[in-house]
Amino acid sequence: MEVAFGAGDGDDEATAIVARSEASLGTIFEQSYRPWRGELGPRWMRNYAIYRHHVYGVFTGKGHRQYHPMVRLMILVIFLGSLTPIPMLFLSSLFGDDGGFFDKMWGINRYNLWGQVLGYFPRNLCMWPLLTAIVVGGMISDDRQHGTSAIYFSRPVSRLDYTAMKYASVAVILGFVIVFSYFAYYTSAIVFKGEGWAYLSDTLPMFLSGILAGVILVITYTSIGLALSSISQSRFFAAIGFLSIIYGTKIVSQLVEWTFETTFLYVISPYDCLAHLGQLLLGLPLNYEHPVSFSIVSLIAMNGISIWILVSRVSSLEVTRE
Amino acid sequence: MTIAEQKPPAVLIDQASKWYGQVIGINEVSLAIDGGVTGILGPNGAGKSTLFKMMMGRIKPNQGSVRLFGVDPWTNTSPYRRVGYVSESEKLYEWMTALDFVTTLARLHGMTREEATDRSKHVLEFVGLTDVMHKELGKYSKGMRQRVKIAHALVHDPDLIVLDEPLHGCDPIARTSIMSVIRELGRQGKTVLVSSHILEEIERITEQIVILHNGRLLAIGNLHAIRDMLDKHPHRILINCEDPRSMAGLFVSQDPVFGVRFPSEGQLEIQTNDLSAAHSLLPSIVVSSNQKITSIENPDDNLESLLGYLIREAS
Repeated sequence: MEVAFGAGDGDDEATAIVARSEASLGTIFEQSYRPWRGELGPRWMRNYAIYRHHVYGVFTGKGHRQYHPMVRLMILVIFLGSLTPIPMLFLSSLFGDDGGFFDKMWGINRYNLWGQVLGYFPRNLCMWPLLTAIVVGGMISDDRQHGTSAIYFSRPVSRLDYTAMKYASVAVILGFVIVFSYFAYYTSAIVFKGEGWAYLSDTLPMFLSGILAGVILVITYTSIGLALSSISQSRFFAAIGFLSIIYGTKIVSQLVEWTFETTFLYVISPYDCLAHLGQLLLGLPLNYEHPVSFSIVSLIAMNGISIWILVSRVSSLEVTRE
Repeated sequence: MTIAEQKPPAVLIDQASKWYGQVIGINEVSLAIDGGVTGILGPNGAGKSTLFKMMMGRIKPNQGSVRLFGVDPWTNTSPYRRVGYVSESEKLYEWMTALDFVTTLARLHGMTREEATDRSKHVLEFVGLTDVMHKELGKYSKGMRQRVKIAHALVHDPDLIVLDEPLHGCDPIARTSIMSVIRELGRQGKTVLVSSHILEEIERITEQIVILHNGRLLAIGNLHAIRDMLDKHPHRILINCEDPRSMAGLFVSQDPVFGVRFPSEGQLEIQTNDLSAAHSLLPSIVVSSNQKITSIENPDDNLESLLGYLIREAS
């Protein structure tokens, strides 16, 4: 009770903590500036520094652009997901399933090569747009939001270099997942089935056409995504904007097709234009009614407009009064 | 040496003007700066940052021209190999350590990895951040962040260093440290431009100043010469004491004092044309008055007063 109510006089075991009156010790450092006598590297070294900052950031945050761990995980999941035909090819080679179910579904043929890059489900519904959205999200919008573009523009880095290297960084990350997985799929088929030169010469034109389709897809998605990133200060806007464009135009075009039985409106859908062109490149029957030239013109227009927006927005970065 | 052979100054601004709609940012400013530390002074909105942004090629002058080492920075980024810039508003990559950050920016100048790391360690040591260079920038205080900005501006050993309000928001220890860094750079023969709206800060760094107001160049030259101009106009000294009236009696008979006032209770205002002479009288008068003095202030000895005087002179 005495303890609880403090009934004692309090002097018997009086203790206190007193701040020690030590003089605060300052820091004196030797301020000797040593001039640097080296030679600064050429333009490509500066540009490579921008590129590596963005691309290496996918693998390590130390000294590079920071990608959220969830973004890195998502890129890994999408990359592994894009490689799923390879184990199926392996199974097919184990079963000796030439012309069977596995071979038909995952073996090398025009349909499967097209599908590896341009198939709608799951690649162009769940994987490539999502991958693009999370990569382009903060690529330029973060610089707009935080004013970090000043870091580049107060150095001998032109706006063209800045834009080109951002573009190359996004394209390389997308290309690594999309084109590299396609390449791995094709080479795995040759290795697992022990195919020879004759097979290679038969399938190489198809394979190269698929690569070209993949490169066009990477370029188109990069252009649209970076344009959206350059017009906003929010990585969320850029990501959602990109997904909205890809899915929104697809849905609207499909609704119009179902209602009016015309595929013409697919020219507004980046995915469908790419798919249409891909069918042409791989020699598949075209399943759109409108001419493929419409899709090609539409793709050129989409890329042109996106790059124009990107360039004009980067040109105005920090030029206005802050 | 012919004119063509002469080395162009680090900064040459010729009749440059910049306006944003109806607002004038910079109004026909002409300047040539080369070597040593120069303070750019002016109240908020005077055009200091606009001037720096024009120099850094961020904004284009509506008329006139800006040259860094003889090259127009708006059309050519090559002068930036010789320029280090610390922007007032620039952010840092918060997730990086100071060493990683400065190294990354060194590589943007085209340095190799080894060169960038060695040089970054040196400049971080120069600004006194060696102990914390492996700490993330997000955990740095304002003063430390300013020093990181200075470090990244120095990493490629520039000839011209532009510091936009480098002391803004810093505690006294950080200020002292940054000031000594700037003075040392000036001693090394670099051209250093430092902006501030606080006269005392600049006074401790350099004697060479440029004063801007409403986008106009009001004064340029040695600080003392400009202060002498200020000393020619009436000054006030405010003394808070026990008996202002008896103290006033001691002052009125002195030469430099031409008037006294009692603005409020316990306060004496001395009016003088010669501030330093009046200040030299103060100790003896205070001692002979035998009364307690709580404060002595010079309300006119600040940038606003100097600006006010210069503006009146100009008009």
